Amino acid sequence: MEILMEAFRSLGKNKVRTFLSMLGIVIGVIAVIVAIAIGAGTTANVTARISSLGSNVIIVTPGFSGGFGGRSAAALTSVLQETDVQNIKNMAPDVADVTPVLQKSFTIIYGATNTVANVFGAYPDAFSILALPIQYGRLITQQDEQNYANVAVIGNTLATTLFGNRDPVGQTVIVTTGNVKVSFTIVGELQETGGKLTFDPDNMLMIPYTTASARLIQLNGGVSEILASAKSAETAANAVSEINNILYMRIANSNVYQSQSANQYRVVSQNAILSTVSATTDVLTLLLASVAAISMIVGGIGIMNIMLVSVSERTKEIGIKMAMGATGRRIMMEFLVESMFITIVAGAIGVGFSYLIAFLVTYLASGLGLMVIVTWPSIALSFGVSVIIGIFFGLYPAYMASKKSPVEAVRYE
Amino acid sequence: MSLLELKNVKKTYNMGKEIQVEALKGISFSIEEGSYTSIMGHSGSGKSTLLQIMGCLDRATDGDIIINGTAVKKMNDFQLAHFRNKTIGFVFQSFNLIGNLTALENIELPMIYAGVSRSERRKKAMELLKIVGLEEPEERGHHRPSQLSGGQQQRVAVARALANDPAMILADEPTGNLATNQWRIILDIFRKLNESGKTIVVVTHDPLVGNEASRIITLEDGKMIDDRIISDKAEKIVDEKR
Repeated sequence: MEILMEAFRSLGKNKVRTFLSMLGIVIGVIAVIVAIAIGAGTTANVTARISSLGSNVIIVTPGFSGGFGGRSAAALTSVLQETDVQNIKNMAPDVADVTPVLQKSFTIIYGATNTVANVFGAYPDAFSILALPIQYGRLITQQDEQNYANVAVIGNTLATTLFGNRDPVGQTVIVTTGNVKVSFTIVGELQETGGKLTFDPDNMLMIPYTTASARLIQLNGGVSEILASAKSAETAANAVSEINNILYMRIANSNVYQSQSANQYRVVSQNAILSTVSATTDVLTLLLASVAAISMIVGGIGIMNIMLVSVSERTKEIGIKMAMGATGRRIMMEFLVESMFITIVAGAIGVGFSYLIAFLVTYLASGLGLMVIVTWPSIALSFGVSVIIGIFFGLYPAYMASKKSPVEAVRYE
Repeated sequence: MSLLELKNVKKTYNMGKEIQVEALKGISFSIEEGSYTSIMGHSGSGKSTLLQIMGCLDRATDGDIIINGTAVKKMNDFQLAHFRNKTIGFVFQSFNLIGNLTALENIELPMIYAGVSRSERRKKAMELLKIVGLEEPEERGHHRPSQLSGGQQQRVAVARALANDPAMILADEPTGNLATNQWRIILDIFRKLNESGKTIVVVTHDPLVGNEASRIITLEDGKMIDDRIISDKAEKIVDEKR
């Protein structure tokens, strides 16, 4: 307790010096916390986007054909077949729901207004797989699917483009390309999603799969994509390999694509994307944090420098204390407490400023989608490191102090 | 019985390559408990070195120092620190008070190292300020050394030396930085302390200060050239030993 008081007093005597030596650590702590916070914010941001895909989504997309010999690369649109969807449904135990997707761009006309948008034909399961909530009206039902019904659910942005402020539910739109012309009755409007990685449901017209394949997008049994959901996050990896096996068996048995190499399709789970992304951002965070950590070490060296000056400046004081019966250990503790005091206070100030900076950045840059999340582990880490720096860089000066001979010290004028 | 015994104590300083300075060339004497001794000599005679060795601030190059029956040679630095804390009270020429501590806090310092409780320390420090006769101790006790006069500072230093009730007070030119009227006060305090049973050793070059003691040891060039008993009381102590 007395040691603490003494440390406080002698630091108070040299306010400017104490402040300056704290500054290095303060900046270091801020740098570490903010660096980690930016990393955490970015991770959270990207994770949120990926998670918004729906729960445990698995996306099967066709690969691209090689573009040699003047042939341009194109999506292998007929790699994936409707039969694959049936097989997956029957043979993959870890898959909960699965739907084929037919997707293509069309001109959509309402009265005098027209726009170009994607028409998305899928089973009603697609809404639950992609976690698309309805805002007005209803979703497409199994009934619609069976009846080849000309009904559609419209995305939020598309609805505004076509209908303005009017209620789209119950209105009729015409979907057209070339000489094809099909009219659909809008039965529901989706909530705004802000986009889902590869899809933008906000700007889509979603119709029954049967209707799409019969009237708009004929691919001879081929499908644009297959969407599936795993039964749980834990079984997602199993589900992916089951789908992979099913597709491989079917494609390997058919002669059509044997000549072409692998990568005719890709099966990606949301979790796989997530872990790839988090691995990337983890590396980024680590990089940022280690650069910041260097500044903490520099701060530590600053403290060591100051403490060494302080020790030689206070040689006489040390000598007097030793003459009064202070042991070397006691002198060492006094200086060590001082350097720890500096770093603890500096660490606390740094944590405070980090919160302030995180708040300001989040507040000012909210439009940029930049997120800064101050995490407890980063606070614990940087605070802990600053205390350790206090001990580590304080140890040598304190040791030097304790090794002074009382007579040399008392003689020192 | 003798409190401190020096047996052929030598101290050599190494001043760089092959240059050695013999500050003490074999000093032997003993200090009796309750005695008042002054060690006199010109500057460079080795008297301050001797005091430092007696006070365990420094170690002798050769010879034995036995304090209270314990050989200093055999003690490690940790034990020496405790020994200085409990057994010896130092008074220096330049007071050596710690500038950022108040008078009371300076006096409390040795007690902190001795592990005395806060309330007890404060009480004892105040008592000691009264013993050394600092005017208005309640108020001045909270002053920093820089706010006190030289005489007042030296009284605080004497109070600090007394903090752990040591057996022996070692004073190095205690009056060297004081005006005449002030050093009279310090010497009176030493006299009173000696009368109450404290062993006192004063190092000085000033005969007026040295003559206060009941025994005068004179050093010259690192050797003891004279050892005189002045008062009857001291003579008696020496007789008993013989």
